[in-house]
Amino acid sequence: MQKERKGAANTLTNLFLKFFAANFNMRPSLRRYLKSDDGWLNFSIGVKTESGSVAQALAFENGKVRVLKTIPGTLDAEIEFVDEKSLGEAAVAAPNRLMIAMMENRIVTRGNLCYPLLINFYLSLLFKPLQIAKLKREARSEKRNYDQEAASKKSIESRALPQLSARRIDPGVKFLTDPYLPEYTLNDFPRLKDFLDIHLGTRAAICHERPEILTRWYRENGFENDKNSEPWIAELRQANAFKYLMENRKPIIRTNDLVAGTTTTKEIGVVLYPDAHGTMIWGELMTVPYRPLNPYDVDPESIEILHNRVFPFWMKRNFREWVRDNRGYPICQKIDERFAACFLWKTVALSHTILNYPKVLKLGTKGIIGEIEREIKSTPTSNRKKRDTLQAMKISLEGINAYAKNLSGEAARLAQRESNPVRKNELIRLADICGRVPENPCVTLDDAVNAMWIVWVGVHMENTNAGFSLGRLDQWLQPYFAADMKKLKNTHEKEEYIRHAIELIGCFYLRCTDHLPLIPDIGNYLFGGSSSDQAITLGGVTPKGGDAVNDMTYIFLKVTEMLSIRDPNVNARYNRKKNSDAYLKRLCEVNLNTTATPSIHNDEAVMASLAEFRYPAGHLRDWSATGCVEPTLSGRHIGHTNCMMFNMVAALEMALYNGRHPLMRWDLGPKTGDIRAGDFRDYESFFKAFARQLRFLADQTCEYNNLLGEAHQAIRPTPYISALIEGPIKRGRDVTRGGALYNSSGTACIGLADITDSLMAIKKLVFDEKKVSFVELLDAVSTNFKDSPALLAMIKNRVPVFGSGNEEALATANRITKLAHDIFREHTNYRGGPYTAGFWSMSNHVAFGSMTGALPSGRLAGKAFTPGLTPEAHASKNILDNLRDVAKLEQKNMNNNIAFNVKVVPAAHDTHEKTVENIYSYAKTYADLGGMQMQLNVVSSRTLRDAMEHPENYQNLLVRISGYNAYFVTLNREMQIELIERAEFGM
Amino acid sequence: MGNKNSKSPLILEVKGNSLDDGPGIRSVVFFKGCPLSCVWCHNPESKKVAAEISFDAGRCINCGACREACPEGALSPANPYYIDRKKCTLCFLCADACPSGAIDRVGRTMSVKDILVKIMPDKPFFDTSGGGVTLSGGEPGLFMEFTSRLLVALKRNAIHTLIETCGFFNLDRFMKMLYPHLDMIYFDIKMLDRDDHVSYCGLPNDIILDNFMELNRAAKQDGKKLLPRTPLIPGITDTAENIRSIAAFLKKQKVDEAALLAYNPLWHEKSVKVGADDPYKSDRAMTAFAEHGVLERCKALFAETGIRC
Repeated sequence: MQKERKGAANTLTNLFLKFFAANFNMRPSLRRYLKSDDGWLNFSIGVKTESGSVAQALAFENGKVRVLKTIPGTLDAEIEFVDEKSLGEAAVAAPNRLMIAMMENRIVTRGNLCYPLLINFYLSLLFKPLQIAKLKREARSEKRNYDQEAASKKSIESRALPQLSARRIDPGVKFLTDPYLPEYTLNDFPRLKDFLDIHLGTRAAICHERPEILTRWYRENGFENDKNSEPWIAELRQANAFKYLMENRKPIIRTNDLVAGTTTTKEIGVVLYPDAHGTMIWGELMTVPYRPLNPYDVDPESIEILHNRVFPFWMKRNFREWVRDNRGYPICQKIDERFAACFLWKTVALSHTILNYPKVLKLGTKGIIGEIEREIKSTPTSNRKKRDTLQAMKISLEGINAYAKNLSGEAARLAQRESNPVRKNELIRLADICGRVPENPCVTLDDAVNAMWIVWVGVHMENTNAGFSLGRLDQWLQPYFAADMKKLKNTHEKEEYIRHAIELIGCFYLRCTDHLPLIPDIGNYLFGGSSSDQAITLGGVTPKGGDAVNDMTYIFLKVTEMLSIRDPNVNARYNRKKNSDAYLKRLCEVNLNTTATPSIHNDEAVMASLAEFRYPAGHLRDWSATGCVEPTLSGRHIGHTNCMMFNMVAALEMALYNGRHPLMRWDLGPKTGDIRAGDFRDYESFFKAFARQLRFLADQTCEYNNLLGEAHQAIRPTPYISALIEGPIKRGRDVTRGGALYNSSGTACIGLADITDSLMAIKKLVFDEKKVSFVELLDAVSTNFKDSPALLAMIKNRVPVFGSGNEEALATANRITKLAHDIFREHTNYRGGPYTAGFWSMSNHVAFGSMTGALPSGRLAGKAFTPGLTPEAHASKNILDNLRDVAKLEQKNMNNNIAFNVKVVPAAHDTHEKTVENIYSYAKTYADLGGMQMQLNVVSSRTLRDAMEHPENYQNLLVRISGYNAYFVTLNREMQIELIERAEFGM
Repeated sequence: MGNKNSKSPLILEVKGNSLDDGPGIRSVVFFKGCPLSCVWCHNPESKKVAAEISFDAGRCINCGACREACPEGALSPANPYYIDRKKCTLCFLCADACPSGAIDRVGRTMSVKDILVKIMPDKPFFDTSGGGVTLSGGEPGLFMEFTSRLLVALKRNAIHTLIETCGFFNLDRFMKMLYPHLDMIYFDIKMLDRDDHVSYCGLPNDIILDNFMELNRAAKQDGKKLLPRTPLIPGITDTAENIRSIAAFLKKQKVDEAALLAYNPLWHEKSVKVGADDPYKSDRAMTAFAEHGVLERCKALFAETGIRC
């Protein structure tokens, strides 16, 4: 019987593969895709089931596809299906489905990940009409197929915001009479309104400009070896390629914009980084415009360029494959590629840092090049490595200068053709500005904002656009604003100028929306709705310790409120000792009016959490939020603060199953005890088992992070950002090699509340009160509580949980944060820095939750974890219990910050002022009690449910996920439900 | 009045983060037991002084643990309210056995210290928001000694205090034992007609009105806030006649601010849980949320006399 079935599936697979091979061998329209500009794509790939009931291979050689009845000894890649059903589904499923099956561990891939993606692309060539029809059906049934442009107009028109007034209170506010700026609305800025409409109403398109130009250069000049067959100095190679890219990119000035330059040739571009994860979209190129979630447009030209010229060149030249080929495909890499325990961000980017922008604004790149040249002069010629590294930095800066000059030329050209005299003047001014900056020191606010943007474009041409952050823009731009204001004489001029400053910052915000990170469909499930998370940080204290709130702080808040967009991700530092109540109140009001931003940080608490590193006070006070929430010492620190999303719950599951991970079906961790054999006599012995599994996973993820770090050193050192950060010039060392003044790696430890509540259930019910045996509890957990409703009810009602105000649960949560912190602290990263522990989750609490079985806490299989370290929704009806418990978590264990979500719903009968007062009271007291960070969603579940049903009415409904903002309508279903099910506290 | 309850009352709940029971963020202590028996009582479980048992059918998972635990055979899905309260001896073995929390004890003994332990963690929120503690019920005035001790303890901890009272209490004892420790008094004036008051609230209203007049005089003198409040019960208290009479009465007392409370029908569900008779369970007006406009109409009647609300 077994044998017959085996035969049937194997035969079917064979027929299918033969059909596939025949088509590609015979049809020229398909066969041409077996080739790239470098020649035939030669590789072999195995296809099998876990049981071995199916085992065959495809061999591609010199334009011929052959089906092999047995899997040969050496293969480039292998796709293993959990069972025959999954295999059958995969054959005709849309490419995005294959990725999702990988995430769900129904498909396991081995070897170079690009090959399965290429096969995916081939399948979509063959079955395109079928796949597109499927995707369209899916989009319809999920109500994703509405008219985005019309929805955009509607959402902008419906905005009306009540607003409070304030007197001038903060000493740093010198020019604004009412710092809340209630006299302005979006209607006063038609230019911004138009740009906002473009942002909300335009579908993003894949942009091939960056990879195409870069690949062109590398083909010409070599990657591993230069033209003379000498091994390249990686820094010099990257610098020259970057310069070529910046010189040859199209200089674009958007119609009517006050800020020149773009990161893409598209209105909204998805910039590709094939040296990182760019090839991940290979399989979806044909179908990505039709996928239900966040579809992209893609030109036929782009498909040709990417498939023929770009992707084949990078198949083995990216971070993942470098580790696989050069470090022996270690276990840690295999764990990462199963998605359930961790996600290592260095497969995508080494980002999440903040450059020394005030320095480049003040000195210009010219000043920095001078510094580099002086350093070269004082470096002996024998120190070749340092001299080369410095030379690379200089070349990179020349690249950015060239781009600015091209923009200046473009502005002048446009000015000549412009008939509108007002716009003509603006273009003439832009030509002048880009002719001077960022090469020379900035003089005006317009100079500074344009220089910031041009430098920012450069950052994203060298590095993946994921989590690079802008830093303390209110601090760094205030001097230019003040200098401009001081030149003005009369009130009218001053008023006009303030209006201009608001508009200019608004243009800058909307410039930041010109690009999106590449999200292959799997990413819609892992990082749903996320943009680049370009964090801006406001307020707090100055490096000297004074109140930092100034005019620009309030101008940024006004722009944040008017635009209410997801990115830039606005973070506010609130310093209890120095900042005014009026400032905190304004932060609360902007949250109320935008429903979800800015996130509020307790300045002193965040700084206290970093005490162990003994950073000099002046540097510590200059911290900014990075990506989501994480602290970076601005301009001096490579903290890659989101190096990994770390699923702590995987360790709990492995402790429950004696080292086996249930979804991965893998005896992965150490044998820490068998519940069924009675190995755990007390709670402590189980906690130890959990701790050992956690340590095992942390060891693995740190190892992989360090190996990926080496891959970055080899594939993509970053001389450009090295020149713009303190340390690398003096040390003559690239930031990827530890050149920055401070080095660390930051983790996001996910599942704190779920683990705390699970451990509390085990402690209370199994060991303290002996209401249930450990085996009974395990039986219930492994059957998803199907036959144990009474036990499930008892857990939910009788076990004290985190966020309920229970001291023991709080102590358990503190113990877990300390454990995670201490375990990561044992490791040193490849740049010689420490690992930090953060407790936030982007959106991975949903993704990891979907890959996790039921838990002793009563959380059912597949359900989302709580976001960040937010308590479970049923923990308490009283929001104050939540606020108090989170505030009492020890700061020193959370040195990569936290994300604490609070969903509040204003009472219909309360006034705007009363609602602001209520939010203020929560935020203020939470900070008084020591809470580090809080982020609000001011929206009811009812509204969210309505938005699920009628997305066309909610195009700009902003929500806070865990650390970042997203538009609710762009989220996958599971994330939408997670938001709806969050605890909702009436006000 | 009050004397018979010199011992500690049962407490229904200490509820945190209340934003509608006085200024700022507050904790509300709900006392069990009230001298009145208003037919619409929003907290029907607070009417009786003695402990009760409640059953929440929505939470029950029908596991049968309670039926096994009950020595009296008082529990059965066949009973109208699940619990046969004639058989029940309030031993609460069923509540201890219930995993889902569907069966629960209504009213628990709490010492002043117990209450403070529950309240104090929220003090920082009171301080930021100008909030504090509200005593409600039931009728805290029914337990003068305990309430007095509680108020003294709250004031010792510098907590803002407010009482919500039905107005039916011994004035001398109130003035001596509670009044000095109160920052605010919310005083219900439900109906002005004496006979109506008897038939809907179980007792005449003379004492209530007298108490209000006395308290008003004292509060004016001491600069304490005394806020008269009228719940708007459809067809009972929200009639133009009743509202006009209350407004006129208050005007006469030179009151310039009062509160009108929109009707909330959620008490019906609570009634079922404690197995109380509910003659209004099929009454359309009494089972729906306040009609739009009722509040505005009543406010307008108050406004005619110049009273703010």
